[in-house]
Amino acid sequence: MLRPIHRKVSLFLIALAVFYLYLSYQLQSFGTGPIGADTMPKVLGWLLILLSLLLFFTKDQETEEDKEKRRIPKQDVIKIGGVLLLTLGYIIFLEQAGFILVSFLFIYLCSNFLGYKKHLKNMLVAVLFPVILYSIFTMMLGINLPAGIIPL
Amino acid sequence: MGSLEGILSGVQLAFSFQGILFVFLGVMAGTLIGMMPGLGPISAIAIMIPLTYTMDPPVALVLMAGVYYGAVFGGSTSSILLNAPGISGTVATSFDGYPMAQRGEAGKALAIAAIASFFGGTVSVVLLMLFAPVLSSVAIVFGPPEYFALMVLGLTAISSLADGSTLKALISAVVGVMAVTIGIDSQTGTTRFTFGNPNLLEGIDFLVVALGLFALAEVCALIINRHQSSQNKGSIGSLKLTKKEVKEMGGPMGRQSLLGFVLGILPGAGATIASFIGYITEKKIARKPEEFGKGAVKGVAAPETANNAATSGAFVPLLSLGIPGSGTTAVLLGALLVMDIQPGPLLMTDQPELFWGVIVSMYIGNIFLLILNLPLIPYIAKILAIPRPMLISLVIMFSMIGVYSISFNTFDLYLLLLFGAVGYAMRLLSFPAAPFILAFILGGMMEESFRQAMTMSNNDISIFFTQPIALGMLIAGFLSFIVPILQGIRSKKKNTV
Amino acid sequence: MKQLWLLFISLMAALALTACGGGNSNESGEENASGSSGEENWEPEQSLEIVAPSGAGGGWDTTARMAAEGFEEESIIDQGFGVVNKEGGGGAVGWSYIAEKAGNPHHLFVASPPLLLIPLNGQSEYGHEDFTPIANMISDYGAFAVREDAPWEDLNELFDDMKENPEDITVIGESSPGSMDHIQFVKIAKAAGVDPQSIKYVSAQDGSTMTNLLNGNADVYSSGVTETIEQVRAGEIRVLGVTAEERMEGDVVEDFPTAKEQGIDETFVNWRGFFGPPDMSDAEIAYYEEKFQELNESNHWAETREKFAWNEMYMDSEEYRQFLDEEKESMQKLLNDLNIQGE
Repeated sequence: MLRPIHRKVSLFLIALAVFYLYLSYQLQSFGTGPIGADTMPKVLGWLLILLSLLLFFTKDQETEEDKEKRRIPKQDVIKIGGVLLLTLGYIIFLEQAGFILVSFLFIYLCSNFLGYKKHLKNMLVAVLFPVILYSIFTMMLGINLPAGIIPL
Repeated sequence: MGSLEGILSGVQLAFSFQGILFVFLGVMAGTLIGMMPGLGPISAIAIMIPLTYTMDPPVALVLMAGVYYGAVFGGSTSSILLNAPGISGTVATSFDGYPMAQRGEAGKALAIAAIASFFGGTVSVVLLMLFAPVLSSVAIVFGPPEYFALMVLGLTAISSLADGSTLKALISAVVGVMAVTIGIDSQTGTTRFTFGNPNLLEGIDFLVVALGLFALAEVCALIINRHQSSQNKGSIGSLKLTKKEVKEMGGPMGRQSLLGFVLGILPGAGATIASFIGYITEKKIARKPEEFGKGAVKGVAAPETANNAATSGAFVPLLSLGIPGSGTTAVLLGALLVMDIQPGPLLMTDQPELFWGVIVSMYIGNIFLLILNLPLIPYIAKILAIPRPMLISLVIMFSMIGVYSISFNTFDLYLLLLFGAVGYAMRLLSFPAAPFILAFILGGMMEESFRQAMTMSNNDISIFFTQPIALGMLIAGFLSFIVPILQGIRSKKKNTV
Repeated sequence: MKQLWLLFISLMAALALTACGGGNSNESGEENASGSSGEENWEPEQSLEIVAPSGAGGGWDTTARMAAEGFEEESIIDQGFGVVNKEGGGGAVGWSYIAEKAGNPHHLFVASPPLLLIPLNGQSEYGHEDFTPIANMISDYGAFAVREDAPWEDLNELFDDMKENPEDITVIGESSPGSMDHIQFVKIAKAAGVDPQSIKYVSAQDGSTMTNLLNGNADVYSSGVTETIEQVRAGEIRVLGVTAEERMEGDVVEDFPTAKEQGIDETFVNWRGFFGPPDMSDAEIAYYEEKFQELNESNHWAETREKFAWNEMYMDSEEYRQFLDEEKESMQKLLNDLNIQGE
């Protein structure tokens, strides 16, 4: 790493603030008086720029421990990425395929992927947990979760 | 005053068979619903509305009230066990409750929360009983200038929520307020930062932010440590508190049941602000503030006492003025209207039985909650004994369904993922998440009350300095912000000299 | 693991005890073998869904749930009814959901003036023109309240004062500027000769409206009639005027003077009715019209109206459409006066 990480973070935050300010200045402010819908956002945007600049020029105070947190083994990165993909799949198919089916697949696949190899137990939990949750929500609480393709 | 008769008829109602039965059912349903993902007191009450159509109004009100404080009571469970606060009032509980549970003391953390909730609930019912008639005038003292000052006071706590860099805490808070500016602006109706997306018009739901920043960010950390299962498996469900720990709880419980009750009375402030302010004041006056955030007994006891005390406090404006002080009491008010109960200044004289019956039933309800919860704790705590890979899957699904069941919209689930990623990145870079969520909760109200006050005063800023209560809180806020920073600078100088 | 299941089972049992009636049964009793022969007659082929574009507990939600209950109790419609909450954007999220259901007449939704105002404010791409009005069922009116010790005895005194010193009078309401509480006040005030832009309106969406009237931070409270009744009974506030055409019936409300009888020739109706998705056929509309009319005339609905202090205001599809077009035009004018416009 060429520069301490907090400088990169600071630059990112400044970019965020600039984008936010750009949008703030496009807000039309009608009504009377100097305080409009755009006032607070503008203050926030400039404040963030100021704070980010301060961050940029502070000395690097990170301890070794802080840095250690960021050294994630490649294998773990893969695992996090995999879980992320599974979760995305969960969201995408939730409404079409229905809560029970998607949750079953998610729990089973995700637990398995993270190293839970007791298939029978896994299967059992993956079936029972969503079914019970679904029954509680729809039958007792009157909150309709998507039923999907399982006819209920 | 003829209120003694009224109280007696209330006692009669509360101790009738029906009264006891329904307060029992109410607190039980409430505490269980409160434990469910995404379901807090609002949904708990809304769910109960259809059931009460045919019930006797006083009994129905006893049931509803039970569901309400029961849900607040049960809400802390997921905060403590999974770092997944289901309602805003229990975010502060997760700061110390979760680390304690991770240490293998889940049972203890839950027990502290239960005892503190019980204490806060009971003390505030006593206060409610003694002062309800008088307090109704306190409830309307607060207008926009006072609320603005209160929010400022709350936000100054950011400097004390920072462990490490104050600068990073401030940045985190500013971004938190930015997040809450998304949506339709309440004062002008302008849409801000929605990118033409109708899903953003109403703004981002609190639960999306809380579950993303806390629960999902924690999931990432759990994935990395997935092979190491919780330590001290044996003691995980143990409720045993040492004498020293019980002693430690005493102070916060005493103070926060008072403070929480007072904050609960103010319409709009409520349990969330009470729990944060409770947590922060205890941290400020503690002899070892550095223990906070790492599983301190006081850090669990303070917010739990405060949010339960505030819940009873919220009944003051509701019952004595007919003014709902929060989203939850607004739904409760709606439910009461359906039952032909019209809370208002006349309720106490027109229907003393109902008024006092509910209050007396709260004592019984709080006792039930404690008896119900303590024996269950060992079982509930065992959730943490679930093998890590499976626990991770379940927490993700739990969070997803929690968010989905409030908006029925997958868009919010993508947002949840986004906040999960933000939360994890913040952790890696040592930016604290607590100021973000605090600013997210308080920032919106702060802007709103500031602008309301300015409109009312025709843009004369002196409105904040001419009202004694507002001025007092602003000064307190200024001091609480500046003193820790000055102390920091001084101690640094000492070190370098 | 075992304990976890124990917990869940006990949890289910506990909830079953209290919540047996809580759900809405979604199963459709029998397979409806409708003739479905062409355009003449139409009958629903699956269970029906009423969308309340808000969270549970509000006005839309209550109306939808009570209607669903009425249809079932009076067995007007054989199919099952489900009420679904689609919260967000003051209704916009629910409306775009229904707009996607074009051609599927099994999805209805409940609406009121925000369906006109929110699109006009540029906060929804769909407005009432995009949907099929089926029937209006009920109405409600606005009320303008002041503190008991306020200097104004009637609306005219208030408005006269407003013309002179608009900056001294703060009007507070629940909804955001350009929506219900604001517009109803502006509509009446404008008819009385007050400059709409001079009205100082503060929106308090956290339920602190009444508090701010009582503690003196606001001077006038613009709200629904029902919200004011209790405080009037307690002698804390007075209602200077309501927006109804004629005096309302009921215990306290019969004493509320209308704006009209004070010489201000203007009204504001908070109507509430049901809509279907775009592109419904005549047969489908006719089917629902008939059913809603039946509901409107039923005893069950009469009781419901009384319980919630709603007023009867039935309109069929065609009347409703015309009414809405006119309403929208008049709202548009008001918003122009206020200089609030959507993008």
